[in-house]
Order: sequence, then structure tokens, then C-alpha cells
Amino acid sequence: MLFNSLDFFIFLPVVFVLYWFVFYKKNQVQNLFILIASYIFYGLWDWRFLFLILASTVVDFFIGQTIHANDSTSKRKVWLWVSVIFNIGLLGFFKYYNFFIGSWVDFLSVFGYELKSTWTLQIILPVGISFYTFQTMSYSLDIYYKRLTPTKNFIAFATFVSFFPQLVAGPIERASNLLSQITTKRIFNYTQCTEGLRLILWGLFKKVVIADSIAPIVDDIFLNYNDYSASTLILGVSLFSFQVYGDFSGYSDIAIGTAKLFGIELMSNFKFPTFSRNVAEYWQRWHVSLSTWFRHYVYIPLGGSRVSKLKSVRNIIIIFLVSGFWHGANWTFIVWGAIHAVLYIPVFLMGRNRIYMNTVVAENRWFPSLTEISQILLTFLLVTFSRVFFRSESITDAFGFLEQIYVNFSYETYQHPLGYRMIDYFILLGLFILYEFRIRRDERAPFKFKSRIVRFVAYTLVILGMLLFFDDNIDRSFIYFQF
Amino acid sequence: MKKLIIKSILYVFLILIVLEGLVRVFHLGKDTPTRFLDEYKVEKWKPNQNGFSVTGNRRQNFSEYHINTTGYNSYREFTPTKDKIEVALVGDSFIEGFHQNYYNSIGKKIENAIPEIEVYEYGYAGYDFADQLHLIHSYASQFDLIDHVILGIKFSNDLTRAEYRVVNSRLALESPINKMLKKSKLIVYCKSIGVLDPPQELMYRFLNMLKPKKKTVSIDDVEILRIKKENEEKYLANFKSLISKYGYDKKRFTLLLDSRITSPLFLSYLEKNEFNYIDFSASFETSDRSTTLIYDRHWNNHGRDIIAKDITQYLRDTNFVKN
Repeated sequence: MLFNSLDFFIFLPVVFVLYWFVFYKKNQVQNLFILIASYIFYGLWDWRFLFLILASTVVDFFIGQTIHANDSTSKRKVWLWVSVIFNIGLLGFFKYYNFFIGSWVDFLSVFGYELKSTWTLQIILPVGISFYTFQTMSYSLDIYYKRLTPTKNFIAFATFVSFFPQLVAGPIERASNLLSQITTKRIFNYTQCTEGLRLILWGLFKKVVIADSIAPIVDDIFLNYNDYSASTLILGVSLFSFQVYGDFSGYSDIAIGTAKLFGIELMSNFKFPTFSRNVAEYWQRWHVSLSTWFRHYVYIPLGGSRVSKLKSVRNIIIIFLVSGFWHGANWTFIVWGAIHAVLYIPVFLMGRNRIYMNTVVAENRWFPSLTEISQILLTFLLVTFSRVFFRSESITDAFGFLEQIYVNFSYETYQHPLGYRMIDYFILLGLFILYEFRIRRDERAPFKFKSRIVRFVAYTLVILGMLLFFDDNIDRSFIYFQF
Repeated sequence: MKKLIIKSILYVFLILIVLEGLVRVFHLGKDTPTRFLDEYKVEKWKPNQNGFSVTGNRRQNFSEYHINTTGYNSYREFTPTKDKIEVALVGDSFIEGFHQNYYNSIGKKIENAIPEIEVYEYGYAGYDFADQLHLIHSYASQFDLIDHVILGIKFSNDLTRAEYRVVNSRLALESPINKMLKKSKLIVYCKSIGVLDPPQELMYRFLNMLKPKKKTVSIDDVEILRIKKENEEKYLANFKSLISKYGYDKKRFTLLLDSRITSPLFLSYLEKNEFNYIDFSASFETSDRSTTLIYDRHWNNHGRDIIAKDITQYLRDTNFVKN
């Protein structure tokens, strides 16, 4: 069920009303109801894969308790590895199996061995598997590191794993934040609900107006890159930056907003990464839940930055490569991760990776300085360059795309494939950037205006925008569902 | 909770009102003229209506229409006499041309090329060959004064009926509910851009669930060819039936068709029986630019230019007008 589908707009109010009017009395009943609703939410996509979620839930629930019950470090470690191998095994089979087989066949072909693989399988990638397996693993890891006491409440744990607002594309929550809220009875809070509704509205705007409306342009340019000049290709990849941001941050806003409707606070996933002043700040603002996960469970256990510079650089390379690979079973994502590692390492070596941690651009000012503008533009340029690999179907396509920019370095006017005026999109993006800059201090309050009239005007304009840019022929699924 | 529900309803209501106003101010939704059935049971637009036809979101295509006193979209009134030279174009939405400004229609383009003639465009969305011949038959006194009649025909669509009958599904668009819904420009706009498709699909999905399931039968290529042949023969039979029932003046009437999408069986019948036709397929094929609009299959300005040129050339070639 997609957040931007009619099914969800029927599902959500029904679940909301039943939750607060019928199943509100006891925490256990609230959780059981949310669990059932979550399984229906997921089952409507493909009920067969519910067994995977259930398996992941059961395995980590019991492993968590077993780790906690054991004092012996070696036994704890063994059980932790069981959890990791099980979850990575699920991912490996459903997400990476064909990739490994294909890569092996390609590798052998380099040495002249032409193999026709009969081992590749027709496997559907279960939606959300990369997200919920990481979430359940984090539970076992936190218990192993003694940061968390396991719950004995299976329903609460199953709700934590399958909580429908964040089940299919995050934010990837840690048990210390989400499970503790699930095990506490939720009480209706008017302010929290209105904040949730506002976030849902803003998320829908980003998805429908920014991401979906740009999608046909990006698809056209990346599909036919051989036919276009450099100006169009640069336009295409720049627009893709906005598309993927609108798509994923829009999804995250709807997820966070929906969770708020049920009295749950999820962690922020996007903190206006467009206004990042260097690549390190970008990673503190882009897909925060994933970056945090890798920092806590990969980077820090490897020694983080407390080891020698050389080892720290190695750790940075590892987490960026793993992060790239997490996104998809394709060499393009690994190269994308590698590019980010290359961009991040100089910032780290200069000691500038944490300087923007607690500030926003133009802090206490109306406008950014010229230095900040150039920093933002440079970061956008570097990140956008890496997206050529993120968006291309294969490494060959990505290099072909870059080669075409170099070979056909000229300007041409681009015509929208569906006949729309391109100027509309430039105006739209200009206004969007200005608005996001205006609200940059708080990603959880997109309509923070004192005046009720101004808020009303903002709501109306956002809905009008959706009506102006809605196109029924566009594929409305979320990009990160494929991860 | 009560406060949340009341405020949400209030906000939604107020936002809808403001949106209705904005859609009207920026004219995002299309105007739809009223249709009716006249005394001869000919379906046409109510005379003397003006408005704007809008396609797509953000007014992707915006054009003005004018329904004349005869009930068709044209800049001129239809007043055929023996003294003037008149040409009638009869056809469906391609001739009706709501997707173009009424003063830049195919008829006007032909008149620009041949100033001594008047072109009357009897176009109406959904008209098939039965509608066309029934119209000519019903208004024989007028059409007898018109010097030449060109009938647009698409073989696969326009010959499905052997005789004229009122199309109730089109007239149902004038039902009280539809009329009421049309008053809200916001609804019209949302419907035109597909926002209301999901609820409709959901309703159909629900209704289909209640119906007993039909077995799907797979058809092989041989069966497809057999059905195609059967349809071609049926359409040809319908053509013969219609011209015998409503009359067809081979000297004055000419068909306008695209031979690329017309059955060879039908084309050979036309040639054997000396029916005149204008085939615009070659002109469209040799065009270096697209001849249709991007967002729907109607002819764009360039396509209409080509059609007008082909008709003009035909009228000159047949010595109907001076070269």
C-alpha cells in the first residue's frame, strides 16, 4: 500500500478512528491492533512475505532474550552472530543472490570462461526488507552491547518490527527510541496529531509535486542520454537530486506524521540536506537513520575515529562501501558509495567533519553569506555528480552518461517529454528551495507560522500545487521501496 | 479528539472553497457546452454557447470554442445558398476541434487558402458514420445546397453500426447529477487530470467483486486474424447498409481517411465502386514533425495544416474550385 494511494487514505482514517475510539484503553490492545493493521498494510502488497517479517521478529525476539540471559561473552557473541547471519542471510538471498551469481559469471568471463548461469532465480525483492532486518539486528546488537534490556512482550516487539508507518522505507528505528514508546500506553494528544497531519501534507507535497512531476524528465534524460547534450544531461542529474530528495524525504515526513497520529515519535530522517556546507554535513542531514545505524553498529565498533588516521580512513571507506551496497545489488551503488568516501575523507582529514553538527546555514541571519552559498553549491555539485552512478542502470551507462557530457559539451533547449512547459519546473524548484530555506531550522514543523491565516494560505497553496502538478500517467511508487 | 475532527472538517471545507475560486480565477478547468437532441433526433450542442476547452494540468492546452446557431463549433454561421460555393466537413472530435481555437480550425485554414468558398464544420465528438449520414439525411434541404461534403471516417471506429440510433450514454452526460457536478470547476478539473480516477476504479473494483467472475479465454493469433476479418466484413456491410438507408451522393461526397489504419478490403471496395476519398496518410508520413498533440491523439496545428492542405489540393485537383 503506497502512502500516496487512495487505499492508504481510506486505511489511515479507519485505523486512526478504531485506534483512538475502540482500542485505546490498554497498551497491549493498542499494540495488538497496530500489529494487525501493520500486517494488513504489508499483506496488501504481498501477504507471502509477511512470513519473512514474522521470522525476523521471532528469531530476534528469542535471540535478544538469550543474549541477555547469558553472562558468557563468547556465548553472547555466538547468539549475536546467529542474529546477524540470519538477517544478513535473508537480505543476501532476496536482495543480493542474483548479483553475486551474475558478478561471479562476469568475473570468470574476464578469464575466458563463458558460463551461462542456471543459478539465477526469479526472486521478487520483498519491500522494506533492508529496513526491517536492520531494525531487528539493531535490537540484538543493542542487547549485546548492554545498551538495552530485551522486552518479554512479544506483541510489543512484533509491533516495533512491523510498525506500518516506517515498515517499508524507514526511518530505521532503534529499540531504545521506538520500543520504549510502544511499551508505554499512548494518550491522545491534539498538538501531536496536528503536527502529524501537517507533516503528512508536506510529505505529500514533496512526493507529488517535486518528485513525481520531475520523474518523467529524469527518466527521459537517463534513458536517452546518448541523444542529449551536456546541458540537458546536467539538468537531468540535477533534477534527479531533487527528485530523490522529494521522494524519500516526502516518504519520511509522511511516515513520521502518520506515527504522530498514533502517539509515536519517530526519529528525523532528513534535515534539509540541500543546504549542507560540506559532504560531512550532508551525511548528517541525509537519510539520518541509516547513517546513524552505520555509525553505531559498523563505524564505532571498528574503532571509529578513535584509532589512527589511517584506520579511521579505512573505517570511512568501509561504511561508505557498505552503505552503497545496502542501497542495491548493483556495482553502481558501490561506486556511488566509493565516491562519497573519496569526498568525505578530505573533509575528515582537515578536521571539518563535525564543525556544522549543531548549526544551520545562515544561523541567526535572514540570508546566507557568499561563502555559505558557494559551499552549498559546491556540496550540491559533488553530491549530484555521484548521483549519476546512483541513477544509472549500470556502470557502463553511468560512464556513458559522463562521457556524453564531455563529448557533447554544448547547450540545447530541452523539451519536456509530455509537452509541459519547462519554466514551470524551474519556478517550482526555485520556490521550493526558498520555502525549505525559510523553514530550515525545524524539519518537523513545515508550517510553523504564528498567523493562522498564513498557515491556511500555506495549506491551500500546497494542495493547489498538488493539483497543478498531479499527473495520472506517472508511476507513483517510492524510489526507496526498491532498496 | 472532537476538536481535531471539527477543525479538520472546517479546514477541508474552507480549502475546497478557496480552491474552487482559484480554479475559476485561473480558468484551470474546461467549460463543457450543453448537448441536446433536436427534433430529428440529431445530437448536437445547444446553439450559441461560448467557452474554453482546457486539456491537462496547468492549462497545457487552452482554446476557445464557439457553438453557432446550427449547434456546431465554428466561427461562422451555416447559411448555404445556391449562389455561394460551400464545402461541409462532417466528422467527430477531429473536425469539431475543441482542442484548437475556433477561429483557427481546419475549415478556416481551407478558407484562407481558397477565399471564394465557405467551409461548414459539422464536427461533434463521438460522431460515427451513422451519425454523419443521419445528420445529412435529416437536414437534406440544407445539405442539398452545399456543393461538396467531406466525411471524416476511421474504419475501426466509425462503422460499428448498421443504422443510426440515439447514443444514450452520451446524452446521459446531461443528467441532473452530471449537470450539478459540472457546476463545480474544481470537480471538472480534478476529473480531467485523473485525480478522481482512483475512487472510480475502487468503486468498479468493488462492484466487480460482487459480480460472478467470468472465465478469461486466451485467443491465439489465428483466432485474432479470424475476428479481425469478421469485423472488416461486418464494417463493410454496415457501410453498405448505411449508404443505402440514408443515401450517399458519390458526386458530391468524399471520404477523408488514413489508409494506414483502413482495411484494404474497404479501400478496394471504395475504388471498385468509385467512391471518392482523400487519403492523408502519405502527407502525415512524410511530415518531419509530429502531427498530433503530445497529451492526446488529436491533430495539432501542424496536423491540421496538413489536413487543410490535402483537402484544398483535392478541391483544386477535382476542379471543384479554380486553381
